Amino acid sequence: MLTQTESARPQTGRFAEFRLIPRIDTWPEAIALVQTPPGKLLLLTLFGAVLRFLIQPGYALLLACAFAFISFLPEYRRPVLAAGPLLVAAVTWIHNLLMLGETYGVIGLGIALYACVQRWPKSRFGRRPLIFLLSGFSLLIVAACATRPHSRPAMILWPLVGAMASYVWFIAYAVTDKSSVASRDLSLQIATFRPIWGTTNTPFPKGAAYLRRIEAKTPEQLAVVQLKGLKLLVWALLLALVQICWYRFFHGYMRIPLPENALAMSVRGTPVPWHMRWACQILAYFELILRFSIFGHTFIGCCRMAGFNALRNTYRPLSATTLIDFFNRFYYYFKELLVDFFYFPTFLRYFKKHRRVRTVFATSVTILFGDAFYHITRDWHFFRDRGLWGGIASYQVEFVYCIALTIGLSISQLRRRGPRHSGFIRGRLLPICGVGLFYVLVSVFETDTRTFTLAQTVRYFASLFFIHL
Amino acid sequence: MAGKDEIRNFVQDLLTRQDDRRPLGDSDSLLMSGRLQSIDAVEIVLFLEERFGIDFAELGFDREQLDSIDAIFALTQTAATRG
Repeated sequence: MLTQTESARPQTGRFAEFRLIPRIDTWPEAIALVQTPPGKLLLLTLFGAVLRFLIQPGYALLLACAFAFISFLPEYRRPVLAAGPLLVAAVTWIHNLLMLGETYGVIGLGIALYACVQRWPKSRFGRRPLIFLLSGFSLLIVAACATRPHSRPAMILWPLVGAMASYVWFIAYAVTDKSSVASRDLSLQIATFRPIWGTTNTPFPKGAAYLRRIEAKTPEQLAVVQLKGLKLLVWALLLALVQICWYRFFHGYMRIPLPENALAMSVRGTPVPWHMRWACQILAYFELILRFSIFGHTFIGCCRMAGFNALRNTYRPLSATTLIDFFNRFYYYFKELLVDFFYFPTFLRYFKKHRRVRTVFATSVTILFGDAFYHITRDWHFFRDRGLWGGIASYQVEFVYCIALTIGLSISQLRRRGPRHSGFIRGRLLPICGVGLFYVLVSVFETDTRTFTLAQTVRYFASLFFIHL
Repeated sequence: MAGKDEIRNFVQDLLTRQDDRRPLGDSDSLLMSGRLQSIDAVEIVLFLEERFGIDFAELGFDREQLDSIDAIFALTQTAATRG
């Protein structure tokens, strides 16, 4: 039951053993206690109390009930987890029967596609399920774009696009699960279709194939993994408190604007001072890490509470000395999605005799197509609001981010094979600052709102270097 | 078992590059445990292609097959059997 939390780097010094949150998962007394009914109740109470501050109280109560069931009757873990997503979908869409029906339809489609791959693994679909799935989803978006706004087909197709966008990557993991046995794993597959412990459109933590490997098999393993879950949740709570103080101090007391506000003011012709623009971009880097850490730790903490010893989504990103290492540490499960579905399939097939070309090509396909496809489909409402070409065109600013990322990650991989500098300054400090600076700069082009044009964003970017276009 | 020794040395070298000097058993998880990253899986793929002539595009690829020294060795045996 090894995880990232056991550092690979040997630690020395007086504070090597100090932990802000005690390593309760290594204390034999705590592990023994959590295996007893009073210990389970205590753990559930503590977990629920912390969770209540991180998510909506009603949902925290629902999760606490599910975890109580799993803790006392672990043999029913999979059925309970399978019922969860269906129940959550019902509660979410109870007042919108069309959306509820389409959501259940998409879940049903996912199960049917999984069953087809299981039944006919040698068929065209069985060999390349991902291509069929993503092509089908793209065609659905095109079909929805072809409808007249507010017409009956539009009223049916756009909610279907929304439901499909929410589930497509979960279905992707199900249909590419080669070692699955349908008769044994169906409930676990359903459990991963937006699992109850929380997720974004990126599956946390991957699919059923991964869950089978990390599932607690004995009461002792369950106790250890649940204690790890509690620790992670407490860590998320501490970070959430830091986040509140951070925003109050920097954006309240210091009045440093958020990057989108700084950009908007530049576009309006009333730019904030140069040092403020830099300050808000640098702060945004740390704020992004904070935000991702909090939701990632909450999801994975709950996943561990359900008995799965998943790796953390965000793990010491500020210690990354290369770009590739940063993305591994910053948003692990999104990186895994891109690697599983785009990088490896490309890397293993093309330019096999040219190592450098192979690496660059696989990285380009992964970021320029995979990352772009993920974000374009995640933000499907831009297609609904702006039409097919308008939706694609709205991605222009983020496409620059993807190009910069492709170049950065390609160089990072090629340089990784070369010799590394030793010493604290050249070996660690400068590389860490370099990674941070790269991300601070490219994040100017990473925008979810897609409010500003490429020209406006480039002008703002140039102004950071006193270049006024 | 020369092949297995070679695989063990290669994996050990990957771990050492990351300052991971903890003991490594043949059945210990490498990727699922987070000791190695996906970029290291790429290195293992290149090593298996070059040293054992494995064609993953033909054989099919599943990262679980690279998750331990035992699993990697079993993969080389399967590939050798298929010829």
